[in-house]
Amino acid sequence: MKILTCPINGPRPIQEFHFGGSFRPLPDLDDMTDDQWADYVFNRNGEPGVKTEWWYHTASGVWFLADRNNETDEVVRTYLYQPESTDV
Amino acid sequence: MPYRLLKYALSRSYSEPRMFRSHDKPKSEYDVVIIGGGGHGLAAAYYLAKEHHVTNVAVLEKGYIGSGGTGRNTAIIRSNYLTEEGVRFYQESVDLFQGLSQELDFNIFYTQRGHFTLAHSPASLRIQRWRAEVNRNMGVESEVVGPSFIQKQVPELDLTCGGHQAPICGALYHPPGAIARHDAVAWGYARGADKRGVEIHQQTAVTDIEVRDGAVIGVHTNHGFIKTRKVLSTVAGWTPSVTRMVSLRTPLVIHPLQAFVTEPLKPWLNHIIVSASLHVYVSQSTRGELVTGASLDPYELISMRSTLEFAETLSGHLLDLFPGISSVNVLRQWAGLCDMTPDFSPIMGTTPVTGFFLDAGWGTWGFKATPISGKTMAETVVKGCNHPLIEPFKLDRFRDFRLVGEKGAASVGH
Amino acid sequence: MSERLEPCETHWIDPKCPVPFQFEGVSYSGYEGDVLASALWANGVRFHGRSFKYHRARGAYSMAGHDISLMVEDGQHTNLRGDQLVIRPGLNIRAVNTLGGLEKDWYRVTEWFSKLLPVGFYYKAFYTPKWLFPFYEKQMREVAGLGRVNHNDKIEKTPKDYADCDLLVVGAGPSGMAAACTAAEHDLSVMLIDENPHPGGSLGWQNPMCDPSRNARSEYIHRLKGAPNLEFRAGTQVAGVYADQWVALVDNRRLTKLRTRAMVLATGCFEQPAVFQNNDLPGVMLGSAAQRLMHHYAVKPAEVAVVLAANSDGYQLVLDLIEAGVQIACLVDLRRDGEPTDLDQRVREREVRVLVGYGIDEAVPQRGNKAIRGASICPVDDHGNLDRKTIIRCDCDTILVSVGWVPNAGLIYQAGGRFEYESKLEQLLPSTLPDNVFVSGRANGVYSVPDKVIDGQRAALSAVRYLGKYDGPIPGLNEHVGSPPTHPYPIFSHPNKKNFVDFDEDIHLDDFKNAHQEGYDNVELLKRFTTVGMGPTQGKLSNFNAVRILAQLNGQSINQTGTTTSRPFYNPVPLGHLAGRRFHPVSRTAIHEWHVKNQAQMMYAGASMRPEFYHQEDKSREEAILGEAVCVRHHVGLIDVSTLGKIYVQGPDAASFLEKIYAGRYAKQSVGKLRYGIACDETGVIIEDGIVVRLAEDRYYVTATSSGASAFFRSLQRWAKVLQQDVTLVNVTSQLGAMNLAGPASRELLQPLTDIDLSPTSFPFIGVREGNVAGVSAILARVGFVGELGYEIHVPTSQALHVWEALMRQGKKFSIQPFGVEAQRLLRLEKGHLIVGYDTDSMTNPFEANVAWAIGKKKPFFVGQRSVEILRKQPLLRILVGIRFLKDDYPHWPEECHLIFKNGKSVGRITSLSRRSTLGYPIAMAFLHPDLAKSKTRVEIRVAGDQNVVGEVSDMPFYDPDNQRQEITKKELL
Repeated sequence: MKILTCPINGPRPIQEFHFGGSFRPLPDLDDMTDDQWADYVFNRNGEPGVKTEWWYHTASGVWFLADRNNETDEVVRTYLYQPESTDV
Repeated sequence: MPYRLLKYALSRSYSEPRMFRSHDKPKSEYDVVIIGGGGHGLAAAYYLAKEHHVTNVAVLEKGYIGSGGTGRNTAIIRSNYLTEEGVRFYQESVDLFQGLSQELDFNIFYTQRGHFTLAHSPASLRIQRWRAEVNRNMGVESEVVGPSFIQKQVPELDLTCGGHQAPICGALYHPPGAIARHDAVAWGYARGADKRGVEIHQQTAVTDIEVRDGAVIGVHTNHGFIKTRKVLSTVAGWTPSVTRMVSLRTPLVIHPLQAFVTEPLKPWLNHIIVSASLHVYVSQSTRGELVTGASLDPYELISMRSTLEFAETLSGHLLDLFPGISSVNVLRQWAGLCDMTPDFSPIMGTTPVTGFFLDAGWGTWGFKATPISGKTMAETVVKGCNHPLIEPFKLDRFRDFRLVGEKGAASVGH
Repeated sequence: MSERLEPCETHWIDPKCPVPFQFEGVSYSGYEGDVLASALWANGVRFHGRSFKYHRARGAYSMAGHDISLMVEDGQHTNLRGDQLVIRPGLNIRAVNTLGGLEKDWYRVTEWFSKLLPVGFYYKAFYTPKWLFPFYEKQMREVAGLGRVNHNDKIEKTPKDYADCDLLVVGAGPSGMAAACTAAEHDLSVMLIDENPHPGGSLGWQNPMCDPSRNARSEYIHRLKGAPNLEFRAGTQVAGVYADQWVALVDNRRLTKLRTRAMVLATGCFEQPAVFQNNDLPGVMLGSAAQRLMHHYAVKPAEVAVVLAANSDGYQLVLDLIEAGVQIACLVDLRRDGEPTDLDQRVREREVRVLVGYGIDEAVPQRGNKAIRGASICPVDDHGNLDRKTIIRCDCDTILVSVGWVPNAGLIYQAGGRFEYESKLEQLLPSTLPDNVFVSGRANGVYSVPDKVIDGQRAALSAVRYLGKYDGPIPGLNEHVGSPPTHPYPIFSHPNKKNFVDFDEDIHLDDFKNAHQEGYDNVELLKRFTTVGMGPTQGKLSNFNAVRILAQLNGQSINQTGTTTSRPFYNPVPLGHLAGRRFHPVSRTAIHEWHVKNQAQMMYAGASMRPEFYHQEDKSREEAILGEAVCVRHHVGLIDVSTLGKIYVQGPDAASFLEKIYAGRYAKQSVGKLRYGIACDETGVIIEDGIVVRLAEDRYYVTATSSGASAFFRSLQRWAKVLQQDVTLVNVTSQLGAMNLAGPASRELLQPLTDIDLSPTSFPFIGVREGNVAGVSAILARVGFVGELGYEIHVPTSQALHVWEALMRQGKKFSIQPFGVEAQRLLRLEKGHLIVGYDTDSMTNPFEANVAWAIGKKKPFFVGQRSVEILRKQPLLRILVGIRFLKDDYPHWPEECHLIFKNGKSVGRITSLSRRSTLGYPIAMAFLHPDLAKSKTRVEIRVAGDQNVVGEVSDMPFYDPDNQRQEITKKELL
């Protein structure tokens, strides 16, 4: 079983986690067209590579971010969400 | 024993020709380039050549033909979908499948088994009724049946699930549900396309697509540049890498889907059994193996690794249904990639890039659509506008908030 | 029964303990420690099974579980491997896949047709005429398949186990034992695993009495026992290696899941067959199989043997056989230069006839093809083919093959290793390995016993260094010297085409040539078309010969040809082991036992159990449900709603946060009031609804649907972070029990039990109060879900039963009845309240659900708002409406999810339906095309038997539209 490191609880088996999809910063709503909004809502970047993703440690209720290579399943780092430091 | 086999006994040498030619290098120009030599790509090539006489076609496959989802799925064919758009589309596919061995002159082992979707709760049974009613309205054989019918058809099934799960209270029964030999579908289409002049290039990877003034003008490959004005992408789990080449955005996310087979057993399971709440599907192949799978892996991954958790969970659920097979051996695990869409329906047809056609979003339902996707995409590529059957599946639907309702069945609350 | 060899320390049998057993109805006797194959062989039974396709006679081939010649069933379990199945008294065994027993087996007729059945024949026949295919398929299924499942098999519950270690060593041969013992000296916890019942690996069967083997055995087997931090598990296979060194160990009893930090894979090699005519018949076997028979089971493998060799191991085998009293008819050496070591001399000294540069063209069968009587031997020509002009006949009862090895590489591949072909050894060797994976021994191309020990030490020290417990020197790898232990192409064609490459699947050499000719010229396509390696052994004996054949056909090197990937499992694993005991937790409310005691019909609601209704004597299900509903309408009822999601939202941003989560407005909500709320996802789909209670300026309490609660809570937590809201969220779903007391008598009933003033002015509709109920602190909310005066009472779970019982006691004089989920559904349907996930689906937006009124106007933001605004501009395709039926005497009644038609066109679907309501007529909720949503529009519902039932669109609520029962109007609810 794969191990994921929760920034709060340390390394835990992946079954304790819930995958929250890719991290997508909320866009500036005032400054976008409906089409741009639809793009934000539906479209994803599914290409291979290192992606920033939301993960949730179910047992403790911790949301955090993981930079993970979606081809090799290698987790580069996990960290808590900080609004200013996560402009991706 | 059919007389067709006699020729092997009567001739000294084996006289079967190559099913598909081997080519040194792609030509410098084709009318249509198809990226991806899976079932969908090969079927599209076949119908381009056969029905539209477009034969200057190259199928470019980075591995070997049928190496993706085509050869990795559990080969179930059915049309008992939830939406009218879905039922209409898949029913055409079933119709084509039923005559495909004869069409391709290649036995794809299309075997009608009857398909049960078991419901373990009234809420789930309600969803099955919804499907049954939509199916019935579209002329598709499909009905809700009760526990006694199920037990009679599948005596080995434990309707109580041994108390491990909510008991089975009914099922959606779809008699046309079938299985087929998945590789044979790819090979049959490959041979048919090849015979009509299509070139299949294996070990040929597309590295980029050249677009000028919003229109495709060619593709770059590991064997050089190929001029073409029409490119059809049929690469399922690898679609995001191809759409990036033409700067198209899609909702696709890629999840692995795992499966396993047991050792061959003498025939006992004559139906395809699906449990919606346990996320299990199982059938017995002609060879005697139980072929079984479950739901998608819970997170995105473009890799075909196996996990032990999957085998453990699926085995448990199988034994909930069939307690008598606990000593049956699991032989081999494997995985395939699923390009999932938000509405559990494919993305097909024309795109904002002139000459770039997309056949993607095949999630867990790609194999069963192989013939019809090939046929409709071939026509779409030739005419430059979407075949009516695939109009609901166009990429624009996400921009327009006009999703297909296939995901509705996924809501099994309360 | 034949005599066994003299006892020896390497034997696994106990000659003092005879074990009687039956095979194919005949009684035999073996010894404790025997496997079925050895016991049969000792009894002179060499014909063990029938092959998969042609039903050819087969006998033990590898004696190591690498073939399925002896695949049996004991009446309960099937597909058991006879060369691994330890016999026990009373065992009654039959071979699988025969028709009429092993000897007769009517299926063997398939071999007569073998010329008609070339590779992939089934793709080219049986489909015309189309109608005949199902018949053919049925026949094929019957003939295919191996064992028969006994569905009365008692379920064996096998609890799983967990283990962990610093270093896992796989394979307890010389290299693995040396590795494990070396690592254990460095303060690491070490686990050593071997699939055999005893340690030693090849030390126990390959020339076991030579000094190096004897020394290594005595040293390491002893040390295994002594090391305190070293655990050795015999009889255990490593079934699979998964991400992050998660390893599946499987023994007879259970699956053990192991986490290790590093691995030494000393998995050894599989001895490989040579391909020649009749190379599959009983009597042809691997040299290593003969050695295992001799040295583990004290069985003399042959009387007169021909040995086909291409390495020193074959010469060693000859000496070994002579020791055991086997007469050697001939040693046939495929190599044109013969054996370079002194073994050549030693063999010749024993007056063995040695034919150098020769191969076996055919194993000559006895009549009936169930045994062999000799070998046809031909010289090998310059091209590596047999020159069949010269044939030497040699009589024998056994042909032993010792032509080479392939690494047991499956686990190494699974662990992330990659291989390259090394022509010095004519073998694949690991080329790249992950940092924490080390390979040693024969799998690493190391063949002599002393070298294997050193290589094990090298691997162990490398692993210890990786784990940070060693920084000293590491011995280097001794390069292989001399001729390769493996022949590059021990494969010979024969016109009669019974020269098998894959014994599992009966695939012979020409099948590969034919498949290649038809275009299957890549290793994966070839595998899929011929099915090589797809059988029960997963190609342990066939995969690599197939690669060699393909490489030759393509004129390419092995490295250019490539190999196929390896997937779990190493050996097949029973479903029961993988499933284990199967825990399926169900959540019960605190009042569960009470419900059961009071005749509740319990139902699953997701993973929770809830009362569906309460059985009543002389009443049908429908009558009971209606009775409960009527009791609520006229008297009072009590329902357990503990499964509701319950969440506290508190903090300075609580109000602003809820404004962002729900579509409605909450900032100006008064303390002590509740509001209905709907929440959407970003695409504008309704995902939740519930009540939002303001307990204090900065403190809210919200409810969510039972099945959606945990996902909703999770999404609240994330939004709180993303929107940077200063709120604390507490999920109290299981901490609080909840019940809804509803009905005209509820106030009167409850007042004596509580310190809260329940008078209408003091505690009006949609009011919320905190206080005591039956001495328990509680939150009371005046909700209107079922449409009667009522109080939802939330109390600590530990006190829920007490409060429930107090209410029931107190309610006696008001004719209280408990009511279940079904009555609640009916009551709320009468009231026109939708249930999210029941009346809506996972694509329903607020306009379709007809709850646009719950969307706050001029809000700056809520989740999904932009999508909702986009959807607002679009034409509606469906809308939830009420339907009432004018008659109730139709023979078939509509059911939920039946479709609605207008002029023959499908225009909607019933989402909720009650044939018997407290209103006296049937009602429903339905999605309908908006054009038809006008009150009194007639529509038809298609029911069973293609009949139609007429319904009429009706305004909702059906019951008490003016909210008189609540002394209030709908507007105020907002």
